[in-house]
Amino acid sequence: MPGGAVPLAWRNLVADKWRLLRSSAGIAFAVLLMLVQLGFERAFFDASLTQVRQLDGDLFVMNASKYCFGTRDPFAYRELDAIRRVSGIASTAPLYADWQKFFWTSPVDDKPHLVRVFAFDPAAPPVFLLPAIADQQALLETDNAVLVDSRSRRFLGMENPPAETKLNDQTVHVVGSFALGPDFMSDGSVVMSDRLFTKLLPGNRAPVGALPIEAAVIRLRGGEDVSAAQQRLRAALPPALTIMTKPELVEFEREFQAKLSSAAPIFWLGTLVGFAVGTLISYQIIYSDLSDRLPQYATLKGIGYRSSYLIRSVLSQAALTGLAGYIPAWLLGLAVYRVIGDIALLPLRMSLQLTAISLALTLGMSLLAGILAVRRVIAADPAEIF
Amino acid sequence: MRLRGLRVSGQLACRILIHEKGRSGLALAGVFIAIVLVFIELGFFVAVPQGGMLVYDHMRFDLLLASKDYAFQAQPWQFPRARLATAAAVSGVTQVTPLYFAGGSWRDPSGGLRLDIFLIGIDTKAQPFAVADIERQQDMLAEPNTILVDDDTRAVFGPLVAGRVVDLDGHRVTIGGSYHLGTGFLGIGVALMDEANFTRVTGRGTDPANLGLIELAPGANMDDVAAALHRALPDDVQIFTRGALKAHEDAYWTTRTSVGLIFGSGLVVSFIVGLMVLYQTLATQIARHLPEFATLKAIGYADAHLVAVVMVEAAIVVTIAFIPATAVAMMAYAVIRSQTLLPVVLTASHVGGVLSATLVMSALSAFLSVSSLRRADPADVF
Repeated sequence: MPGGAVPLAWRNLVADKWRLLRSSAGIAFAVLLMLVQLGFERAFFDASLTQVRQLDGDLFVMNASKYCFGTRDPFAYRELDAIRRVSGIASTAPLYADWQKFFWTSPVDDKPHLVRVFAFDPAAPPVFLLPAIADQQALLETDNAVLVDSRSRRFLGMENPPAETKLNDQTVHVVGSFALGPDFMSDGSVVMSDRLFTKLLPGNRAPVGALPIEAAVIRLRGGEDVSAAQQRLRAALPPALTIMTKPELVEFEREFQAKLSSAAPIFWLGTLVGFAVGTLISYQIIYSDLSDRLPQYATLKGIGYRSSYLIRSVLSQAALTGLAGYIPAWLLGLAVYRVIGDIALLPLRMSLQLTAISLALTLGMSLLAGILAVRRVIAADPAEIF
Repeated sequence: MRLRGLRVSGQLACRILIHEKGRSGLALAGVFIAIVLVFIELGFFVAVPQGGMLVYDHMRFDLLLASKDYAFQAQPWQFPRARLATAAAVSGVTQVTPLYFAGGSWRDPSGGLRLDIFLIGIDTKAQPFAVADIERQQDMLAEPNTILVDDDTRAVFGPLVAGRVVDLDGHRVTIGGSYHLGTGFLGIGVALMDEANFTRVTGRGTDPANLGLIELAPGANMDDVAAALHRALPDDVQIFTRGALKAHEDAYWTTRTSVGLIFGSGLVVSFIVGLMVLYQTLATQIARHLPEFATLKAIGYADAHLVAVVMVEAAIVVTIAFIPATAVAMMAYAVIRSQTLLPVVLTASHVGGVLSATLVMSALSAFLSVSSLRRADPADVF
């Protein structure tokens, strides 16, 4: 039995260095296109999930009528008492937020721009995971002090924030910054004390302690079972309130984004087109290679190699060609993610999942092309070829 | 002599293409899909600014009066209503109509989610919208507590059927009907009301206004009237011509929101991929025919001739592939429109733009691939 010992696929692949370079470049760009599209799809989701992912709690109480986290739909402050009476809770911090009513006067153009605002009691345990917020929240105790998001869109001028500017026409002092990043509803974020929030919220007369709250951020005592505590809270609170664990909150937000945003189908279509282009490029490469080596394949058949060996060899060569394109594309993808992520303020990151999906798509397109092209080898008749 | 040479090159290119139908088909398919790719990415790239202009494109006005702080359509700010009267007094202006915007909260009376909806208040008599459904149902808007809803309002809002009663900012209102315009980037739902209902629901008066739609007398010079308005009005407002408004909204969506960068990079990568496909195709063809080309060189054909052959070949392939690619792009756009609510439309300028881009790509790839041709040495080849 003539041996599988001859690494025919490998030899064929590296036989012509120029051709290898050319074909891997073609495949690499098709892969890069898929990587960019897949990366954007992920980044769009991740950007909209950032605000809930950064919340620091085991359980969250919100109005059940909220359709997404980023809409103002607060519940009565007095519900906090009922929450605090539930056993197993270490701390309950009220979070105030608004997405539609706060206007930041940008030092860039001196015009007011809509920003997202989060507010909490600076003396309470942190409600955000971001260390920059947790470490600096004591600074918010002073009058009119705010923290700003240095990763806000640049026209807001928060990257190098002014010492003071106006928020809803009142002078505020910027005492520090944090890096959160924008999403597709908000261009930038401001964090302040609950006291300042009651002062700046348009039309509000309620003091802290009477102002409805957007979410209660609950931390459980060490060792408490999260779902048991969730059950106890459900029993203690009216049905108009919903109690979510952190993963449930993230999932709630993800579902909203998936249902209402157009981003996913756009990027999936882009990926699909990248796959089609990649398959075609791979097919062209394999087809030309096979055509050129048809006499050799026919000879191999003539001297007794089985079709199955040749098919295996062609498919391995197809997979290797795909890999040869994939590796540079993956590296280039890292750089592209970095650059675009920084400029567009998007959380574009290479993940294991993205790597796996794109690799599977690359091998899929190479093998598909290989299967389509291999018919020529099967049909090759040793007697006819010469 | 030069002309004859070109014709010979053309004939040779055709012969090569016809001679190997399978390979030529493959090349056509590759170029076809590359063009479709460029079309799709271009569609997305322009769809976003088009989405930003969608609602304006269906409004009647020659000039737009807006606050000096105007950001984009959904964040127009406001100005004293008195500015409308000042504008109306300027010669050449026939009509000035206020437009009111507000964010509303929508809920079914039986409970459920409290959804954000974009509210537009109009002076019905002035007919600011050039939308057949709205004009047809104009009398409906005059009914107390009655709204019209854009039929692109998302499914979570429930059935948008006439007669359904919903809570809008805590007021009971009845859906009078729906209209077909599109929500653009105003939000996940849009409702239209006349001024009286708008002020009742939102609890705000008709002063200040958010935008002013200015119509001019027939024959009035747009730029002259705009300049006169600029002189007559204080600097808390600004005047946009339609062209300036489009430029402003385009700039907002493409630069401020980084959407331009995202789809722009998709467009650039698609262009490179297209280039690679073309190059791959042509280089393979040349490699295949190197002995023939070398022979031609040996019998006295100049390099320029052979380069012309490749160029013509590229141009033929691109031109033939372009037609089905345009047809497929039109179908793809229709699918995108229905799936994403983005107003992706294939315009003549897109078609022209993609065609010229593809021809540039084919020239570039032909240029890249002929280097081996130049090196082709008749003595070496055999």
